[in-house]
Amino acid sequence: MTPVIEAEGLRKVYRSRFGTRRVNALDGIDLSVGAGEVFGLLGPNGAGKTTTVKILLGLTRPTAGGARLFGIPVSDPESRRRVGYLPEGHRFPGYLTARQTLSIFGRMSGMARSAVAARVPDLLARVRLSDWADVKVKKFSKGMTQRLGLAAALVHDPDVLLLDEPTDGVDPVGRREIRDLLRDEAARGRAILLNSHLLSEIELTCDRVAVLRRGRVAAQGRIADLTAQGSRYRMTASPVDETLLAAFRDTGASVERVNGHIVLGTRDLTHLNSLVDALRARGALLTELSPVRSTLEDVFVDLVRTGEGAEKTQ
Amino acid sequence: MRAWAASVEEVFREASARWTLLAYFALSTLFILIFALAVNLDIVDGALAGAKLFGKELDLAGEKIDMDRLVLGFETGFSGVLFMLGTFLALFATAHLVPRLQEKGTIDLYLSRPVGRTKLLLSRYSGGLLLAAANLLYLIGSIWLIVFWKTGVAHPRFLLGGVVILFTVACLVAFAFLIGVVTSSTAVSLMVTYAIFFFAMLLSAREKIAAAVSTEFSANLVRTLYWIFPKTAELAQGTVALVSDGAHGVAPVDPLAVYGTTALFGILSLVLASWRFSRKDF
Repeated sequence: MTPVIEAEGLRKVYRSRFGTRRVNALDGIDLSVGAGEVFGLLGPNGAGKTTTVKILLGLTRPTAGGARLFGIPVSDPESRRRVGYLPEGHRFPGYLTARQTLSIFGRMSGMARSAVAARVPDLLARVRLSDWADVKVKKFSKGMTQRLGLAAALVHDPDVLLLDEPTDGVDPVGRREIRDLLRDEAARGRAILLNSHLLSEIELTCDRVAVLRRGRVAAQGRIADLTAQGSRYRMTASPVDETLLAAFRDTGASVERVNGHIVLGTRDLTHLNSLVDALRARGALLTELSPVRSTLEDVFVDLVRTGEGAEKTQ
Repeated sequence: MRAWAASVEEVFREASARWTLLAYFALSTLFILIFALAVNLDIVDGALAGAKLFGKELDLAGEKIDMDRLVLGFETGFSGVLFMLGTFLALFATAHLVPRLQEKGTIDLYLSRPVGRTKLLLSRYSGGLLLAAANLLYLIGSIWLIVFWKTGVAHPRFLLGGVVILFTVACLVAFAFLIGVVTSSTAVSLMVTYAIFFFAMLLSAREKIAAAVSTEFSANLVRTLYWIFPKTAELAQGTVALVSDGAHGVAPVDPLAVYGTTALFGILSLVLASWRFSRKDF
């Protein structure tokens, strides 16, 4: 897959006004997102998520390293022609109506007035704001403003979406709709970079994630890979007696009974299959066997705590 | 060009939503209406034979006053008032354009579009200038039309005075943009620009000040500052001189020394504002 978002060795050092204090916001970030991929950026406050997105948009300059969108360096405004961005805590001019907002930001992305006018009704319908098209933005609720922000990010039909907390302030039904909309956009080949604190949202929406910690990528990969717990499996079978479990333990497996099923820790797949063979040899019937997974939240908290622990011991 | 037009349109939409601008137009309109309704002139053979102000007869001591001279005198005096009023109101109506653009949560929306930062800043600058031009045209044009309606005398030079005012506004707004980019504060950019406006007026008496200060260094500093800052006092004089066309003893100003150095001040301010804006981290 050809990457549409690329970042290599991104570093950003913020200095105080007189250069007396330095903060390493980013310390060598590498990222790559392909077309049609939904990529999540996770991390605690101050991990460098927003700085990364701001560098990708040319809002902030990196101290070292570089980033490209569609192969164009982010310092070139042309790199943003096919990018839609929804910033966190955005403030659209309150004196504009939803229609005027989309018209102005669409034309700022290079669209003709007539093209924007033709696209706006459909776009407002997609974010359920059709009835509010000619109402001033200052009268919108937070959820409505958020949906308008999403429409503004999509107005010029971009190929890349960078979204910072897109479901912030949106009710559960609206969140579901936004998730569906993002999956729909990804299915149409859009690359989406999602920055969110809501791990459940990320888990439901993203194909791959990167967890940032103190300006570095602490972990990166497919959610399924990150949440898989090595070689731990959940087994449900009957009958299972203590003799069988003892036989499992004799092979070197760890065995726990948890709420009516057994959690097995094995060396590898061969070891697992030998345990299944032993189970069958004793006449027991296997009804379920699945890898034990953590939630993304477990992985995230572990990564953050591990990092904090390592920093404390240094 | 589309992005430029959209940015200028937004400046106008914002202006129309702001009470300050509405108040400006309302005040201008009130002033124009009072002027139109309160003054009644009795003109006989191109001369003023009688006049009423708010319905009260003015004593002209039995003299007939030449209408052309009267109108020129009025427009000459009034152009000086318009210089101060037009400049102040235009600054007041445009100084917020950069600080508001740089607000957190707003700047990201603009800079994430494929528009260069310099282009974005200059589009807002040109929007602000067009706005100031519209205000000036409304005020000066209306007064000129009313004078023509009441007296039948038309002096196009009165309208030209608006060009000098707009030139002054262009240079001062450029400076207000520079301060706005650096401080992100409307209040600070307004205060500093007004301060420069008055300080530069004082500096027109640079030789008197230089003679009064105790050291040669201070005297040279005053003279240097005079050449750096916009020549606001001379620009006001230039406006009046242009409208009066040499009448009423108002001397014309040296174009290069006044307009040239003031233009340089404005261009340098705009270049510095663009440079700082394009290097800023948001």
